[in-house]
Amino acid sequence: MVEREKQELPLEARLRRLDEILARMESDDVPLEEALRLFEEGVSHVREAERVLAAAELRVEELLASGRTRALDVGND
Amino acid sequence: MTEHDPELDLFGSAPSDPDAPPVPPPPPAEARPKVWSVSQVNRAVRGLLEESVEPLWVGGEVTGWTRSRAGHCYFGLKDERAQIRCVMFGREASQLPVDPEEGMKVRVFGDLTLYEAKGDYQLVARRVEAEGADGLWRLAFEKLRSKLEAEGLLAADRKRRLPRMPACVGVVTSKDGAALRDILSVLARRAPWTRVVLRSTKVQGEGAALEIAAALDALGASGVADVIIVGRGGGAVEDLWAFNEEPVARAIAACPVPVVSAVGHETDVTISDLVADLRAPTPSAAAEAVVPDGSIVLETLRRTPARLGRALTGASERRRAAVDARVRRLERTVERRLGPARQALDAFAARLERTAMSGVERRRARLQTIGGRLDALSPLATLARGYTVATSPEGGLLRRVTDAPAGTRFHLRLADGTLVADSVGPLDSDNPHG
Repeated sequence: MVEREKQELPLEARLRRLDEILARMESDDVPLEEALRLFEEGVSHVREAERVLAAAELRVEELLASGRTRALDVGND
Repeated sequence: MTEHDPELDLFGSAPSDPDAPPVPPPPPAEARPKVWSVSQVNRAVRGLLEESVEPLWVGGEVTGWTRSRAGHCYFGLKDERAQIRCVMFGREASQLPVDPEEGMKVRVFGDLTLYEAKGDYQLVARRVEAEGADGLWRLAFEKLRSKLEAEGLLAADRKRRLPRMPACVGVVTSKDGAALRDILSVLARRAPWTRVVLRSTKVQGEGAALEIAAALDALGASGVADVIIVGRGGGAVEDLWAFNEEPVARAIAACPVPVVSAVGHETDVTISDLVADLRAPTPSAAAEAVVPDGSIVLETLRRTPARLGRALTGASERRRAAVDARVRRLERTVERRLGPARQALDAFAARLERTAMSGVERRRARLQTIGGRLDALSPLATLARGYTVATSPEGGLLRRVTDAPAGTRFHLRLADGTLVADSVGPLDSDNPHG
């Protein structure tokens, strides 16, 4: 398996941000301009997160004594 | 007696030995009796004991258990009437979960032998087991548990929350074990976006506890994992023992990220389960605990844009409502502030009107009085009858048409007021005589 690039933003951070965005947008005092901006940001997070979820395949590595990791081949059974 | 050395045969040919050669003739009377050295005797007795007694279980109470620097254990085993000396060498003793306590009822499996240096006969223990379910294991477990508890390592408030969606799950277990396969299959099904980093270790046998502890340290120090699963599949209590040892407990407690312990089956509870941030009944359950179910996440995500849209609509409606409310509030404020002023103003206006009226009335009444008195003298009375007096703006009477040539402004005094008029010149027919 090729060493994949580190994802720019982990899924969890995106989901957490989405929660924040929704909470802010659903609060009473959000200015319309901010709500619009948050809406756009939220939609982009949803798209990215969906892409990550849809494309992923479990990546298994082994931690070596050197502290580096190496792809680990585990049987498909 | 296979390794029989005829030189050391204390008793000659035992009559019981069917294969023995015929009894030799008695020594000549003058010969001196054969003398054995102590070593020879002890070695011979030892041989007898070791060769004629099969390994056996001996039950009794432990007394005077001591452990030497080298790890050998010396103790006595006794009942009401008798005692036997026992030794357990380091290699076997290292398998013991804990040293038995004084007076503890145990059974010892071992070989009878003779310690030649002292001539003491003793039982060389291969295994020591306490009576009752899991005996020594239970004792060791309870001892370590109370020690860790006293240090606060088992406290509920030490338990850390697991990350909701770890980018990387660390696993400490054997590369070849069923536990790893179970964990990977659950992770692949529920959260295939996850990165898994394994640190493979021995999970049972000599040195397993130290290896597991070192693996936890290494994985923790590497900083790659957001959460770590440590464990193994089911097995006998001895097989799971590494997870009841202090080094593993301490490594879990010191781990910089949350640790989920999953050892054996549901019913097996180990020290590492107690120290871990979460105890999972099985390795599969541990995997389920560390990642969310991807299908639920996906479903939530798919609903999110609609929710964002509703939130946006809501926000804009709230803004509009807020503006409306503000306008209404402003109106009310103005009303409230201006109300009294307006009232005052009305009152003032009414008074003003009254005052003005009364002034006018009074003046008018006075004028009428004066007017009445002047009436008789005044040309005004004549005017009232329809006559008009024309004057220049300065007040001089106009008597002839030439007094007001075309373009001249003059006044016409009527009974009730004065008109301002402009002359356009005389009427021709009025001036036939020129």
